[in-house]
Amino acid sequence: MQQLEINDIQGLLIRGYGELPACNFILLSIRNKVAARQWIKEILPEITPGSKKPQSIALHIAFTYAGLHAIGLSQETLDSFSIELEDGMLTPHKQLFLGDFGNSSPANWQWGGPNQTPPHLMLMVYAIDETALNDWYLKHEPRFINNGLSLIKRLDTGVISDRKEHFGFHDGIAQPIIEGLSKKAEPGNTVPPGEFILGYKNNYDQYPNTPQVPDDAFSNDLPMAESPGLRDLGKNGSYLVFRQMEQDVGGFWNYVRKVTSENGIDNTEEMIKLASKFVGRWPSGAPITACPDKDDTGLGNMDNFGYRSFDADGQRCPIGSHIRRTNPRDSMDMDIKASVEISNKHRILRRGRSYGKPVCESLDPAAILNSKNFEGERGLHFICFNSDISRQFEFIQNAWVNNPKLSRLYNERDPIIGNNLHPQDEHRQGIFSIPMKGLRKRYCDVPEFVTIKGGAYFFMPGIKSLTYLSSI
Amino acid sequence: MTEHGALSILANIIPGKQEYLTNLLKEVDDNREDTDGIIPFPKLTSVHFARFVILNEAVDTKGSTIPSRLAFTTNFDLPLNNHWQELITYAGAGLWKVFSCCVDFRSGDYDPVKLRQYLEQHSIKAKTFYVGVGYRSVQQVRNEKKLREDIENFADANQSSFKGKSNLEIRERIIEHVRSSPDFEWASTPEPGPGFAWKLKHYGALILAICIGVPIVLVLLPLIIIWVLIIFIDEVKTNPAENKIDKQHLRELMEHETGMVQAQFSAVGNMKPGWFRLQTTNILLMLTNFLAPYIFSKGKLSGIPTVHFARWLIINKGKQMLFLSNYDGNSETYLRDFINIAGRQLTLLFSHTIGYPKTWFMVFGGAKDAKKFMEWARHNQTVTNVWYSANKNLTVNNVFNNSKVRDGLYGTLTEEEATKWLSLI
Repeated sequence: MQQLEINDIQGLLIRGYGELPACNFILLSIRNKVAARQWIKEILPEITPGSKKPQSIALHIAFTYAGLHAIGLSQETLDSFSIELEDGMLTPHKQLFLGDFGNSSPANWQWGGPNQTPPHLMLMVYAIDETALNDWYLKHEPRFINNGLSLIKRLDTGVISDRKEHFGFHDGIAQPIIEGLSKKAEPGNTVPPGEFILGYKNNYDQYPNTPQVPDDAFSNDLPMAESPGLRDLGKNGSYLVFRQMEQDVGGFWNYVRKVTSENGIDNTEEMIKLASKFVGRWPSGAPITACPDKDDTGLGNMDNFGYRSFDADGQRCPIGSHIRRTNPRDSMDMDIKASVEISNKHRILRRGRSYGKPVCESLDPAAILNSKNFEGERGLHFICFNSDISRQFEFIQNAWVNNPKLSRLYNERDPIIGNNLHPQDEHRQGIFSIPMKGLRKRYCDVPEFVTIKGGAYFFMPGIKSLTYLSSI
Repeated sequence: MTEHGALSILANIIPGKQEYLTNLLKEVDDNREDTDGIIPFPKLTSVHFARFVILNEAVDTKGSTIPSRLAFTTNFDLPLNNHWQELITYAGAGLWKVFSCCVDFRSGDYDPVKLRQYLEQHSIKAKTFYVGVGYRSVQQVRNEKKLREDIENFADANQSSFKGKSNLEIRERIIEHVRSSPDFEWASTPEPGPGFAWKLKHYGALILAICIGVPIVLVLLPLIIIWVLIIFIDEVKTNPAENKIDKQHLRELMEHETGMVQAQFSAVGNMKPGWFRLQTTNILLMLTNFLAPYIFSKGKLSGIPTVHFARWLIINKGKQMLFLSNYDGNSETYLRDFINIAGRQLTLLFSHTIGYPKTWFMVFGGAKDAKKFMEWARHNQTVTNVWYSANKNLTVNNVFNNSKVRDGLYGTLTEEEATKWLSLI
């Protein structure tokens, strides 16, 4: 078992801070690297290590490639970061690969887009309540400008009751367990730390690629790298993926209402059932493969399940549904054990937070439809950690979410987060089929419910590495 | 029933012409879907996949220079002569232009006879030719795609009138619909299967091979053990060279991967030196070539369900291995499949190239070292300058399923069989 250096790992990798509901993501640009390094030095003691369980406030910091450049890392060191961090989300190939077309095209983003000030670093502040968060912000904001930093955007978040997301579904249930961190032993869901944290062995029993710096007086606190003469800047760090995803709650529920109503009369039961088929879980979180006929709140946190034994063909949970796509578990076209193993080679550690006002308090489907508060923007600040963006986040996005040919499908994408505007696709709207006994049922006009509004790849350093960055 | 061939043409590029050729191929690629492009691929009805790859100048293991070469390859429907005729008739002028950049090509005005002569002289046989979606012509694949789509639309349009009907009755309605459509006259009968003569030859060859091969292996077993030990000593002695990955090289490869459904992979690498390595590779590739139609007959290459066609060639007097494949997905998923699903089998074939991660007995180790394997693969991967796919929006799985949908139109089924068939649509 690998011993995790949790006092050097930023705490967000260890815990999601459910008890710190107020949260801001602050995107900053570095104007003056010397002043910025000084500022990092000053806030260093405030950065929360994984060894500390914060009571009222937690602070984290992550850098984009442009930010690491702006802070003054040498080109040689910069080259040792992953190509995904370096190229970001904006190249034509990445747009094709991630499926950012139409309204989700980077040209339309609110931040991080091609003609906007590129974010250099992100502060992630978690607080016990809004007052504590605002106090923190008011205290720190003047220091940005005085320290060669300028504010690009302060992204607000809001916690929704019962751990739901805006469409009204219990979210964040399936999380991989990091080997060595939890006493819970679920073999099918436990993943080596190197999948998420650099400097530890991954699923292939290898150390993930890691950025390195020359072994000199500044870096002698960092562990030695595998190659001689270099120190490991990546140790205890991770790659962070950020995607701001706007959710069209009215669009979502109105669509499922429209296609399930008969002769103008709503069929609430069928409507919720179809929405749940899209997601793969009922609003409570119960997997539809486990309780296909109706929601069972008792299974709301159920995560230890597969598809193969009684749902191989997807008559309960459609092959194209959101959770079956993004984590196929045992259902891939190979033997069960291999499928679980391979599926686990593409896991991510999710740390997203919702933003915007929920359309109603309860987020009960019926209440959502009766709500009159659809105005304004709401969605998810999707955040995940992985040690290999290409094999984890991008793989899920490309080979599963936006793969029209997933498993034995022909032309469907993820009904929740898929993008149907690939330039080579003859369809401009989503298709979703529900396998049945005999002919499948098919919906051919599924609109876009989620729009990407911004995003970037970040590197979240370990605390010693952060100290190094502040002192170069 | 149609069988497939793999044409591979390799010619040295005239020194100084590579840049011009690269630009010309760019133009070929930009217009590959046009019937009046430099190479009007859509007119070549026998072609499933085709590509042009410039193999950059390289240095062999002894330090001598291997000049840059052009590879032109196709996966086509047999007979070969028909394919040649199509190539020359529709793409002759374009091929003339392209191969004018190559050594020993007769310059001057277009001459179809001389062109074919040149190409035939420069064609080399693949040591292993793997076919994932066998026994279907380009046209059959297209027809069956249209058929399934039509049935699907018909089923959607008639969902309400199907209510309360048994699956057998629904199937009858679908059959009636297909029969009544003049576009699908070809579907009134099943695709002719292999005749008795073919089966006799196909399985006879296997039986014969087993009858002759097994005793030979038994007799030669001591020799084979010594042979494997010689390779083993080589495995112990040599440490694989590092494969430095240049980000710019990766970017260039990625920029050529723009397909929504399918992708290509071209790789060339130096063989490990020595007679033993070369002969081991030759024997293993020949064995794979012979056995593949029997053991990988269900569209899975060692369990990888996404490969349409693949080929291995030994080129340059045994100095280099050239590997080309056409598959579903993208190169990241494809190489991950190599590691996760078929590591051992592919290690057996690829471990004879320089820089392959360390192996034991040619199957252990190797691709298990995922990081080094990826580095080796990306290092040897080379840009495919032109890539054409005749049915670019179909996966291996789709092609098989489309045939199953068609096959369900014939004969009598039970209600249960009809239910299963309907679920394929």
